[in-house]
Amino acid sequence: MNFLKWRERALESVFLICALTAIVGVLLVFIFVTIKGFPIFEKVGVLKFLFSLDWSPSDNQFGILTFIIGSFLVTAGALALGAPMAIMTAIFLSEIAPKRVQKLVRPAVELLAGIPSVVYGFFGILIIVPVVRTLFGGSGLGLLTGWIILAIMILPTIATISEDAIRAVPKSFREASFGMGATRWQTIWRVVLPAAKNGLIGATILGMGRAIGETMAVLMVLGNAPIIPKSLVGPVGALTSIIALNMSYASGDHQTALFGMGIVLFMISFFFVALIRFVSRKRS
Amino acid sequence: MVTAAGEEYQAEHPGIKVGVQGGGSSAGIEAAVTGASDIGTSSRDLTPDETNLGLVDTVVAIDAIAIIVNPGNPIDHLSKTQVKDIFTGRLTNWRQVGGRDLQIVLINRDEASGTREAFLKKALDKTPFTKDAVIQPGTGQVRSIVGSTPAAIGYISLGYVTSDVKMIKYAGVLPSKTNIINGKYQLQRKLHFLTKGKPKGEAKAFTEFILSDKIQTGIVSHEFVRVPK
Amino acid sequence: MRSRIMDKIAMGILWANGFLTIAILAMIIGYVVVKGLPAMSLSFIFTSPHGIEQSGGIFPTIVASLYVTILTVIFTTPIAVGAAVYLSEYVKQGRLVTIIRFGADTLSGVPSIVLGLFGLALFVYILGFGWSMLSGALTLTLMALPILMRTTEDALKAVPNAWRQGSMGLGATKWQTIRRVILPAAMPRILTGVVLAVGRVFGETAVLMFTVGMAINLPIFPNEPGRAMTTHLYLLATEGISMKTAYGTALLLMVIILLFNLSARKIFNKTQR
Repeated sequence: MNFLKWRERALESVFLICALTAIVGVLLVFIFVTIKGFPIFEKVGVLKFLFSLDWSPSDNQFGILTFIIGSFLVTAGALALGAPMAIMTAIFLSEIAPKRVQKLVRPAVELLAGIPSVVYGFFGILIIVPVVRTLFGGSGLGLLTGWIILAIMILPTIATISEDAIRAVPKSFREASFGMGATRWQTIWRVVLPAAKNGLIGATILGMGRAIGETMAVLMVLGNAPIIPKSLVGPVGALTSIIALNMSYASGDHQTALFGMGIVLFMISFFFVALIRFVSRKRS
Repeated sequence: MVTAAGEEYQAEHPGIKVGVQGGGSSAGIEAAVTGASDIGTSSRDLTPDETNLGLVDTVVAIDAIAIIVNPGNPIDHLSKTQVKDIFTGRLTNWRQVGGRDLQIVLINRDEASGTREAFLKKALDKTPFTKDAVIQPGTGQVRSIVGSTPAAIGYISLGYVTSDVKMIKYAGVLPSKTNIINGKYQLQRKLHFLTKGKPKGEAKAFTEFILSDKIQTGIVSHEFVRVPK
Repeated sequence: MRSRIMDKIAMGILWANGFLTIAILAMIIGYVVVKGLPAMSLSFIFTSPHGIEQSGGIFPTIVASLYVTILTVIFTTPIAVGAAVYLSEYVKQGRLVTIIRFGADTLSGVPSIVLGLFGLALFVYILGFGWSMLSGALTLTLMALPILMRTTEDALKAVPNAWRQGSMGLGATKWQTIRRVILPAAMPRILTGVVLAVGRVFGETAVLMFTVGMAINLPIFPNEPGRAMTTHLYLLATEGISMKTAYGTALLLMVIILLFNLSARKIFNKTQR
């Protein structure tokens, strides 16, 4: 009997340790990226590192504002294109599509989520780049191409979570609305969407986090110039793509600066996760 | 090139494994210094600091950098100054060098590229590139974008030039093998094998293998220009 | 009347959007299949890349990808299941649980490039594992952990409470209940989660480039470097040395991931009956 009790205790601790791995993991990531990246803050100065537009590693200039702006520009456009599409897909799946059509669209959305980002990038350079070049000029590599690819990539994330949020709206809300003679669209627009609002916002933030952290596809289609794009089709660099592009050869301060960009990315993603928590807490 | 030669070497010397790790020239030099690799490969000359670390340099091939434009571009030659002005951002329209009225689309390599470094030194006299260029992480991407963008210009190793793009004369000279060996074509660089100290053992055997007639006329000449005897 | 017209327009747009989603997927898959099929053959799958063009097969990259993925599953599954058991069977609420969940959410939000930097710093450099299968799998474990924790927790929660009470009522201890009743009942859904996580890990690129390396090598021991299929595709696509091989690699990559996803769906559907 004593042995059994002891075993129960021991096992509980083992499970607790397993559960703590998640926290330990995050801390490890933060600590080691910071250890490697922090010296650049001391060397260049936090303000200069974050707010200087001058990035020329060969001249020891490590300002990353260009890429912070680049990342947000790329993300904002992807969101503007992708989020409405994703939410429309979610509405379509939960409110409108007959069972048979659902059975076609839902797997399509799931499969889009499964395609590796390097394949999206590959598809981007082969299909989207030439199309953008033909329609809008330039080289085809740049902001607009990034928007299109990322919009497709974040669609499944936002659509899946939005659908859950929309389905969570009680049936009685809809019945009441129909009872008052509202059309399907009026019901969706005036009743269902407002009721699911927090869930939709959460889904969109998650999509945003996904977009800002995306690396490979973006690396392949953005053109990665260290400038703020002068036009819709101009080349642009994102934090992620610049790290990936430079890491293979960077050394010394340059490498430290890349880890410094990693710290910034970590902070941004942490902020988004906290924001989602905040939004979902408001709901419940 | 080294990968292919390595395979050939393994085929001839069963039991020996030649591992080839990718990366830019700096990575190659670093690998030789730290001893992570028996041989480091590089397409740039050593800095005095690096020579002081005891690295021994063997030239194994010569590479020329071709300036390429879209096949539909009527321009077929550029002067040294024009090339410099285009890549530093002073000239931005093809009209300014006698071409069509089109905004120039610059395609550049990332800083890891030895080709970029050599081009910066040889064609730009180290004046920094304009930052407005599209940066591509690989030769193939530069070629394919230049090949499909009417107003584009870029530079790649001669060995990678295909009919998708058009080579232009630089300072009046085309990068032909003759022009490279006699030195008339100026955008050329040597490809180096670096070893810590004199190459010994397997490193020595492999270096000799790559300098042998068979590899020089075969694999090396496929992409580059062989080392003159 | 106006509202009827509005309704018609809105429905039209929603239907069009639904089919646009399918069209995008069809276009991507169709393109990769059409371009990739000509490269596909047994020798493509079972021989090594060779020559200046790195044409020929991609066998070592398939092995490297599978190697890292399997190692990651071996590392992740016990930890994730243990963590999920703790969260769903032992302590369901409280400050600690909130922190653990927040940790897991944060971990799953970390961009893969940052995980790559971390793996490079800790496993490759500081611990000296070098570019290796091991470094890659340890880093990917952090990526797969939150995904698998969540799916496993859902699986455990789907087991009816009555079963727990029944088992405990018969005098079984908590662990006996978990081992004999809850885990077996939840197993198919846990497996679904594992297969889904495998799909994510297999398609990862940024982490693998930094932690497993780029050397084309047939990995045998976990301390050896290699080049994953995804890395191979990236390098082929940017270097542009052999587009045919690139198309083939993309197709094979998609097929393998599709198979993972379909089998996950199959396992899941079985449990629903």
